[in-house]
Amino acid sequence: MHKRRLHTNGEYAIPNVESCGASRTEALPMDNDAFAGFYQRSAPGLWAYLTRVSGNRALAEDLMQESYLRFLCAARPEGGEVNERRYLFRIASNLLHDHWRRQPRAASIDDVPEQFLAVLPGLGQIESQATLAPAFARLRPRDRQLLWLAHAEEYSHREIAQITGLGAASIRLLLFRARRKIARLLREQLVDRRRRP
Amino acid sequence: MLRGCSWETELSKALRAGHWPQGCDPELRSHVETCRSCGDLALVTQAFQQARSQSISNVALAHPGLLWWRAQLRRQREVAGRIVRPVAIAQIFAWAVSVLVAIGFLLSQYRSGLRWVTWSELDVSRTIQAWAHAAGAMQWGFLLTIPVFGILVLLGWVALSLWRERD
Repeated sequence: MHKRRLHTNGEYAIPNVESCGASRTEALPMDNDAFAGFYQRSAPGLWAYLTRVSGNRALAEDLMQESYLRFLCAARPEGGEVNERRYLFRIASNLLHDHWRRQPRAASIDDVPEQFLAVLPGLGQIESQATLAPAFARLRPRDRQLLWLAHAEEYSHREIAQITGLGAASIRLLLFRARRKIARLLREQLVDRRRRP
Repeated sequence: MLRGCSWETELSKALRAGHWPQGCDPELRSHVETCRSCGDLALVTQAFQQARSQSISNVALAHPGLLWWRAQLRRQREVAGRIVRPVAIAQIFAWAVSVLVAIGFLLSQYRSGLRWVTWSELDVSRTIQAWAHAAGAMQWGFLLTIPVFGILVLLGWVALSLWRERD
């Protein structure tokens, strides 16, 4: 129903995502120092995205390194660091998508590292007591992706469409459904926890 | 189904700014308690913000310099790959032509009764006579096949060597 859409021109264009094939120059588009700065600013967010959405720390490490390698080898997107960061997230999303396509089985709760399941200490409010990971693991990978980009990275619907390759018009509906589902799961989780002695 | 609540934008701003719940309008707080859509938004956004903070605090990053050099190496390999690609194509072409020539040669010999089987029994003078006879009979196609085949094998070997050197 919702086909992945590649933008090949205009402001959405993200060149050479799939390969390391920028052929105009042999040098990397970003020098070592510039990359170090960009990496320090962007890596924590990308790491959080990949670990939480994939639910697999080792996989996230691999995908993160591959994302940066592809980012460096490809032509540098115009529009400054905001666009570069979005481009990086798009590369990572494509890699995640490729991974899921190779392994169509959805990640189960058993695949989530134990540390993600721990209850956060010192959180007094009803909302905060519900940890995200168990509910998150019960969602479809695409829903996890959309929710994280919208609520953790605070990307707009249009930006999410650019990152995921989904149609901008469908993002709102998909996100609405995913948010409703995870909210229900979080509330159920909270009720279960309260019932336990 | 997708009618958004009129308070949603204001709630989103408060959540992003970290003003929710204490730092925002009491009217908004009372609305969120009764509105399912806004309740979901507040619950989910807070859960994700906390999850992000927790993940970022646990991050162990690789050294950026290492990644940069790996990318540099990958870029150089890509460039080398583009250079060798035509040679590889020439190699495939040479092998394909060689195989076709060999098949053609075998077929032609098969049709003429597999005379080549008796070559091993020929002495030098008889071989020369046979060549002379072939030349006399104007079998130039057959005579040309041998050097062409040899050149193609040589080209194939060169291409294979270059390919191995790249790997």
